[in-house]
Amino acid sequence: MLAVLLSAATILLILASHRRPNVRESWSVLAAVAKFAVILSMLPGVLDGTEYRWSMGEFVAGIEFALRADALGLVFALLASVLWIGTSFYAAGYMRGLGADSQTRFFAAFAASLSAAVGVAFAENLLMIFLFYELLSVATYPLVAHDETDEARAAGRKYLAYTFLGGGVLVLAGTALVFALSGTVSFAATGPSTAAGLGGADTTLARAAFTMLAAGFGVKAALMPLHSWLPDAMVAPTPVSGLLHAVAVVKSGVFGIARLVLDVYEPALVAELGVGIALAVAAGVTLTAASIIALRADRLKRRLAFSTVSQLSYIVLGLGLVGPAAAAGAGLENVIKGGLLHIPAHGFMKLTLFFCAGIIHVETHTDYISEMDGIGKRMPLTMTAFAVAAAGMAGIPLVAGFVSKWFLLVGAVSAGQAVFAVALLVSGVLNIAYFWPIVYGAFFESHDRADAKPLVGGPFGGEFFGTTAATDGGRPDDGSQPDGEADDDGGTRTDDSSHDGATQADGGHEGGDRDGAGHDHHGGPGPGGWERVGWTGAEGSWLMLGPILAVVVGAVVLGLVPSQIGFLELVETVAAEAVSGVTD
Amino acid sequence: MSETVEAALALLVVVPFLGATLPLVLGLVRDSVGWAVAAAVLVVEAGLAARVVYTLAGGDRVVQVLGGETFGRNDETLSSGESTEGFAVGIELVGDPFSGVLVLLVAGVSLGVLAFARQSGPHSNAFYSGYLLLTGALMGVALTGDLFNLFVFLEISGLTTYALVASGRSPAAAVAALKYLVVGTTGASMYLVGIGYIFVETGSLNMVDVSRILAGETAFLDEGLYTDPLVVAAFGFVAVGLVTKAAIFPLHTWQPDAYAEAPDTVTVYISALASTAAAYALARVTWFVFTPAFFDAGAANRRVLEFLLVLAAASVVAGSALAAVQPRIKRMFAYSSVAQFGLIVIGIGVAVHPAAGEQATTFAVYGVGIHLVGHAVIKSGLFATAGALAAATGARRVSEYAGLARRRPVLAGGMAVLGFALVGVPPTVGFIGKWYVALGAVEAGHWPLVTVIFVSTVLSLLYIAQIIERLYFAGVDVSPDPAGTGTGSPGETGEAVAADGGAGATAVATGEGSLSVGMIALAVVAAVLAVVLGFTGSELSAWLDPVAAAVADAAPEVTA
Amino acid sequence: MIGALADSYTYVLFAILMVVGLYMVAASANLVKKVVGLNMFQTGIFLFFVTTAYVDNGSSPVIPAEAAAGDRYASPLPQVIVLTAIVVGVALTAVSLALIVRIYDEYGTLNEATLREVRTDE
Repeated sequence: MLAVLLSAATILLILASHRRPNVRESWSVLAAVAKFAVILSMLPGVLDGTEYRWSMGEFVAGIEFALRADALGLVFALLASVLWIGTSFYAAGYMRGLGADSQTRFFAAFAASLSAAVGVAFAENLLMIFLFYELLSVATYPLVAHDETDEARAAGRKYLAYTFLGGGVLVLAGTALVFALSGTVSFAATGPSTAAGLGGADTTLARAAFTMLAAGFGVKAALMPLHSWLPDAMVAPTPVSGLLHAVAVVKSGVFGIARLVLDVYEPALVAELGVGIALAVAAGVTLTAASIIALRADRLKRRLAFSTVSQLSYIVLGLGLVGPAAAAGAGLENVIKGGLLHIPAHGFMKLTLFFCAGIIHVETHTDYISEMDGIGKRMPLTMTAFAVAAAGMAGIPLVAGFVSKWFLLVGAVSAGQAVFAVALLVSGVLNIAYFWPIVYGAFFESHDRADAKPLVGGPFGGEFFGTTAATDGGRPDDGSQPDGEADDDGGTRTDDSSHDGATQADGGHEGGDRDGAGHDHHGGPGPGGWERVGWTGAEGSWLMLGPILAVVVGAVVLGLVPSQIGFLELVETVAAEAVSGVTD
Repeated sequence: MSETVEAALALLVVVPFLGATLPLVLGLVRDSVGWAVAAAVLVVEAGLAARVVYTLAGGDRVVQVLGGETFGRNDETLSSGESTEGFAVGIELVGDPFSGVLVLLVAGVSLGVLAFARQSGPHSNAFYSGYLLLTGALMGVALTGDLFNLFVFLEISGLTTYALVASGRSPAAAVAALKYLVVGTTGASMYLVGIGYIFVETGSLNMVDVSRILAGETAFLDEGLYTDPLVVAAFGFVAVGLVTKAAIFPLHTWQPDAYAEAPDTVTVYISALASTAAAYALARVTWFVFTPAFFDAGAANRRVLEFLLVLAAASVVAGSALAAVQPRIKRMFAYSSVAQFGLIVIGIGVAVHPAAGEQATTFAVYGVGIHLVGHAVIKSGLFATAGALAAATGARRVSEYAGLARRRPVLAGGMAVLGFALVGVPPTVGFIGKWYVALGAVEAGHWPLVTVIFVSTVLSLLYIAQIIERLYFAGVDVSPDPAGTGTGSPGETGEAVAADGGAGATAVATGEGSLSVGMIALAVVAAVLAVVLGFTGSELSAWLDPVAAAVADAAPEVTA
Repeated sequence: MIGALADSYTYVLFAILMVVGLYMVAASANLVKKVVGLNMFQTGIFLFFVTTAYVDNGSSPVIPAEAAAGDRYASPLPQVIVLTAIVVGVALTAVSLALIVRIYDEYGTLNEATLREVRTDE
């Protein structure tokens, strides 16, 4: 399995060429393309039903060190590798735009993360998935803590604590339990349909193992009580946020749950144990609650983070509904298709959104939604992409999100779980509620004539704050600058007080405190409003704009012709297998 | 062929002891001859170890009875007309796959640490004498097949360790060594009391014979002696004695002082081997002298074992928690050893617990064997890295590690890898050991222990993450918070950089600023080894297969 | 009861010596006294071993060439063990006294509590 090793080798190359940024970044891009090619080359085979397998012999007693590419794994691997290409370009542009420190470490860790993510995708058994899952945690930790500020360190600490609690404790314990119950952890052999599988195991212990594994993966998938690392981790550079939210990390959690439900336990057993419905309830609660919280966030990345929490729950919901659907004998195929298809769909859309947030930050140093009125004039292409992706998030037809949500809805209803269908619809409405103000404000308002936004700004049931939202940002001496090189220090790590102020201001915004105290960061429009920039791409570096446009096109393609680009076929293969497993 | 191997077995113990006299004798002629002599002796030693282990790899059991032809295991009738029933006369040295693990470890580590000592260590000839004595004693612990002989070797290793700990020039080292001496001797004496009880009850000290007599397999016994209160008490004394030496909570108090105050070279060496040898001795006595059948024989036997398991679990939790609040690196790692040996003792106990089936026993034995090796590699690597960093930059506190990754990328990288290995991130050897111990506990259904083992991952993350965060993500320009004063603070706020006091004294003793290739090499080799061994889990467990089978069968000998 | 005690008084003595020694190690603040306690503790154990070697009417285990089958000898093995253990004990005492001398040179005290105070001042 060249795919995993490829980017592992890249790490060395990146470290070796740390003195020459151009070489370093071309390695990164080259590896991304090569990796994508390798994975793509497996696509036809897997669609035909072949499984590629590679084993390095026994790792620990009874468990092989093996990789295997099947349809489900390929969905994730394909997604991660294709998005990595875009992210590589974007990261190069972003990091240069900000002139950040320690770029070598950044790119090396980035490659390592992708390596681990693809490893998760192709892991042959639970222990292997755990192995790569842990490596992923280790590799992404430097990325989260990259800024080396107190805030970043705290976020990194939180991230490590959460993921190791989830991975090191829960997943490993669950794995050990499954191994003790069934004598194997290979995905091919643990299901109830095989002789050695979990079918005959004690139901209490089987439930305990399922709960531990689901909770363990749920940490990375940001299920509700375990989600709080994700919004904090958005202090990381934006390509990292993209990686976390769209490409690899949270998806590895979701993917783990998919493996758990579809391969380790198999739908029939999930239905029998009644654990699916519990998972679905957790997901349903998460997706509604997270949407509501997203309404209140003023910092763009934070709002996106909560949107991720909510969107991921769509996928988990789909997987949770596998249980009831298998029990009801209907809708199984649809919920699986919906859930899994949402993995790539959300990947494309969320990556677009984060890229947009990143480019806005690099070019204008604006982080807060309340300062973005009229920004459509300054960055037309970016905001168009943003609008398209946001539409997809809300499930508007013709964009990627619609297809998967449609399957989910249909599946939920036919499985007799209309409650969840309602939750889905409510969440869709909430999605519009938290994205529309941004889009509307960006295109149809200017910064000095902004309406009060219908967002819940203050504490629930607390004071009401006025309409000064848009006018307090920015200092007259540094407004927007049309060229890519911002000469102020807003993004680089320095110790002067203005930067500290910028960090502090986050808290102020969250609490609804808008009087501008400690609010001297460099965001927001200049005194004359947003400069008007044409639609020719002068709004930012093409290194960043290119990926945005490419990814958003991907999102639209996924919505328009889902059956043409592989993902749907793969997902259908998985679903068909699962259905046949139940009906057998 | 077998005679060469048997001779090699004896030479493994004899060569370092004889070699230990050389630095002192030759020192009369020339100064600073110690390192060269030690290197020569240890290379010979490594060759012997390789030879022995090569034979053991075939699953053979090699026995050498000291005293030659006149003694030995024979059942001829004596002049008195009584039969000796095949009991061993004289002291046996036994090489089997289990002792092979330790032999290889001792030979490898002692050679590796020598590379470290070239630059950093105390340079006196007496130091190298002690060093060789310790190596010989540890070999003896690994190979002896006699309970009293085990005591002697443990005491020799103890004595030399006390001397080596005190060989640092700081007065604090002397205090630490004395504390170690008092606690260690008390522990060893406890062990001696236990041996006395066994001797009274069985009339033998040979491990195999004692085991067979306890099981009641000899002609003069109608039934086993397992439920005899004296035997149960003997196990209690033996376990307490060895557990003290292995630094299990609450008998660990000597260890942090000793590790922290000893010269860096000594810390690296004893952290890898001193407690390891004691834990190995505990495993050998528990598994092969008392055997699982002993613990199944009565309620009291079982309770003693369970008490041991509770101590071990407490050790895991307390060790990790104490490690997390230590401002000084070496103390932190010392407490982490307390936790790791808790894991090992859990494995030792689970393997012989009545609730353990054959699977559970097998896994627990794998876990103990692999974690003994893994911990030795990881911990000595960590101490070596810490020592090298201290030598290069003078940093001996967590707070002083801020931003060192930029100045010493190789060492910092090594420390990060080893740190994650200690936490148990796959695919490192730390993970495999932990996985097997955990699996053993799961199979045997000890849910509280399972919880402790898995939670220990997070606990060890508590302190490792502090270090890594400091190394990489605390820029040097982020000035430490001047308000941070408490020595017990978790280093999060950062303490005022004040390296005087005990830390400074040690730093002077080791010669600050002298970083040698050997030091870096040891750190790097340990890190690489920690990962490489992680991929050899199946080979390691295959090596331990005969051991596991013997434990599961309650057999006193490991045979292929 | 009295008879049993008279027969096995050495075992009782062993227990008393051991516990007194252990108590001294734990409770005495003076470092030298700690070492004395340690010695006492060990001596108790030696006594125990020697006691186990005792055989009624046995002579010392030096067997002449013309020994008869019914001759009784004290068990030699425990005595060998004790001999070895005594050597180990002497070495330990030597090392500990050397350490104590050094500690006294450095800190000027042998009292554990004082020592702790002095060291925290460092």
